[in-house]
Amino acid sequence: MRSEYLWSIILFFPVLLIQTTILPIIAIHGIVPDLILILLVFYSMRLGQLYGTVLGFLYGFLLDMITGSLLGSTMISLTVAGFIAGYFSNENKRDYYFKNYIFVLIVFMCSSINSVLNSFFSSADLNTNLIHLLLNQGILPALYTSLISFLVVFFYPKRSFES
Amino acid sequence: MFEIFSVIWKKFKEYIVLVLLLIISLIILSSSQKQSAKKASSVFFGVFANFSSVISDALDIAKYKSENSSLRKTNAELMLEINKLRQYGIENSELKDLLGIKDTLRYPILPANVVSKSLSRSQGTFTLNVGRRDSVRPGMPVINEFGLVGIVYSTSSNYSIVRTLENLDLSLTVKDERSRVDGVMKWNGANLVIINVPKTFDVEPGDRIITSDLSSIVAMPVPVGVVVGLNNVETGIFNEVKLKPFVDFVTTENVFVIKVVESKEEDNLELNFFNRK
Repeated sequence: MRSEYLWSIILFFPVLLIQTTILPIIAIHGIVPDLILILLVFYSMRLGQLYGTVLGFLYGFLLDMITGSLLGSTMISLTVAGFIAGYFSNENKRDYYFKNYIFVLIVFMCSSINSVLNSFFSSADLNTNLIHLLLNQGILPALYTSLISFLVVFFYPKRSFES
Repeated sequence: MFEIFSVIWKKFKEYIVLVLLLIISLIILSSSQKQSAKKASSVFFGVFANFSSVISDALDIAKYKSENSSLRKTNAELMLEINKLRQYGIENSELKDLLGIKDTLRYPILPANVVSKSLSRSQGTFTLNVGRRDSVRPGMPVINEFGLVGIVYSTSSNYSIVRTLENLDLSLTVKDERSRVDGVMKWNGANLVIINVPKTFDVEPGDRIITSDLSSIVAMPVPVGVVVGLNNVETGIFNEVKLKPFVDFVTTENVFVIKVVESKEEDNLELNFFNRK
């Protein structure tokens, strides 16, 4: 279990490399899936709500520093996303969540909230674009992200990690 | 007393941690424009960009072959265009000599590659593989073969971050090429718009928009986009002019940084939107 805490931090960097260099190739109208969020949701559900919240904060801090976006904006959105994903870290149902579409739905929900919050703090002009903000920067990236999160369901081991 | 805190902590620790982290995030957010925060960020993205440039270069190699043939075609077309322009240039300099006007349209440009792009569309930033060592400074314009891409926002020794036109914090003074009307252009989260354009101003769909000589960031005429429509036509006294940028920010990979020598005198003027807090 302890090594999982470490992996959640180590994996961040290669995933971010893929996110910033390879994923723009599969962008649809500038919308790219958010692999960092999938990683966050995965570890929040595995390691608990408290850890998920702190991990979201840490991922957000690193993202803001590395991508040059408004410092603090991604921290807020990912902290909230990690907190929400952590709600589903029930030990008894964890494997059940990972093995079917429920994980995808959780990713969709967390991604929508993350995208809207992030846009709100970093780039939103609410006077003219509330609907656009919700659709183009909230729902559509969340749909794309949750589509990619099917990979986690697909590759999740049939036997649980613990056993 | 300790027991009460202990019980509260056990019951609500997730919420307490969430609130604390959000407060810390908000404090950091409010101090994000400080110089120290920008310096720390430039160190972080400089280190990370070293890694992402390796992957980016590897991906580029595959594209070079097909790109080469299309570049050869563009070269041939440009050669013909240059010949024509050379004639105009000679004619122009002769006429300018006659009128006694100084020629100022010469800027050093530096080729660069986009090594990574921002995570989401809402952020609108690129990382370039040129930095302070190549004399790149914040405020320098970035262009490609189609027009203006953005402005350098932050630099490390080997890399720099560019705010593209699709970044809410970037405002630029632009001009209608046909009617010579000036205005302030910005990204509103959905579209590129020129804001607060009086209805009496002559701006029509199809007009080309270029950067204005009034701008202290990009004072040379660089193509920006084309007018595709006017918002708020029925109400109010101002129009919002909607633009379609010439540059496709999704596919942009090779760019040029214009190494404009900054004028301190002009930087202090209030029209310099880049410095405005």
